[in-house]
Amino acid sequence: MQEDSVAVVDTLTQAYAEKWSGAELEQTNAFISLMYSNDLIFVVLGVTLIIWAVLLFFMFRVDSKVSSLEDKINSVEQE
Amino acid sequence: MKAWKIVVAVWMTLVIAGGILIQIPEIPILEQTARNIFFHVPMWMAMFAMFSVSFIYSIRNLNSPDLIFDIKAESAAKVGMVFGICGLLTGSLWARFTWGTWWTFAEPKMNLAALAMMIYVAYFVLRSAFDDEEKRAKVSAVYNIFAVTTIPFLLYVVPRQLTSLHPGADGNPAFSEITAAELRFILYPAMIGFIAVAFWIYDIVHRYKTVQSRIENL
Repeated sequence: MQEDSVAVVDTLTQAYAEKWSGAELEQTNAFISLMYSNDLIFVVLGVTLIIWAVLLFFMFRVDSKVSSLEDKINSVEQE
Repeated sequence: MKAWKIVVAVWMTLVIAGGILIQIPEIPILEQTARNIFFHVPMWMAMFAMFSVSFIYSIRNLNSPDLIFDIKAESAAKVGMVFGICGLLTGSLWARFTWGTWWTFAEPKMNLAALAMMIYVAYFVLRSAFDDEEKRAKVSAVYNIFAVTTIPFLLYVVPRQLTSLHPGADGNPAFSEITAAELRFILYPAMIGFIAVAFWIYDIVHRYKTVQSRIENL
């Protein structure tokens, strides 16, 4: 094999091609086939909801931290 | 934790899911980006709500000077800015794939919205120029009252008089009887939801700033 033909040979695809082509729709479970349906819109839904869930978690956390700071300063000022 | 925040969390989750999942009419050029109306437009509504809160507290501060009013006015203006920046960025992305450009100086709504942001940037610059809290509160309240009066003109009155690609130009409202009715079922809840989210963030910000100033004045 020539030196410059090495770049042409996609060894990664060769090594993993079987595993990738193994992911047929009928072999997957109900969740995966649902996600594949409707032009993959459920993937978009998933991404947005993950972002929203993380933001919500953060907001609840900061909110409760501010609440505990308020309690702390209230008790300090009362002394 | 107040119950309304949990309601907002659930409400917005449903709005996001609904916005992505409902069937929308097929319109050339717009295609699926018509769903952006559920997210891009409420950014501005949330901004207006926050600037209104800021305006009210600026008036109250001039009426009966109190540092807490100044803190609330500043916090609301900050949260309003954050939503305004989100509105500009989402609008720019949307414009790229429907109008074909990230930004155009031929588009009045885009540029005047950016100008409105600049006016509020000046508010924060002005605030940073004072060391004396009471002076800062008074002068920035006066400026803020000026700033908020420009908003309806920059974002509604002037753009409607000019030719523009943006909906809501040439004397027409942005959202009219030619807009598919089903979009309203998500759009209006989304507006309410995002305004509520803005209030939630504002609530966190002004409480944090209040605690901060109380610690500094101990």
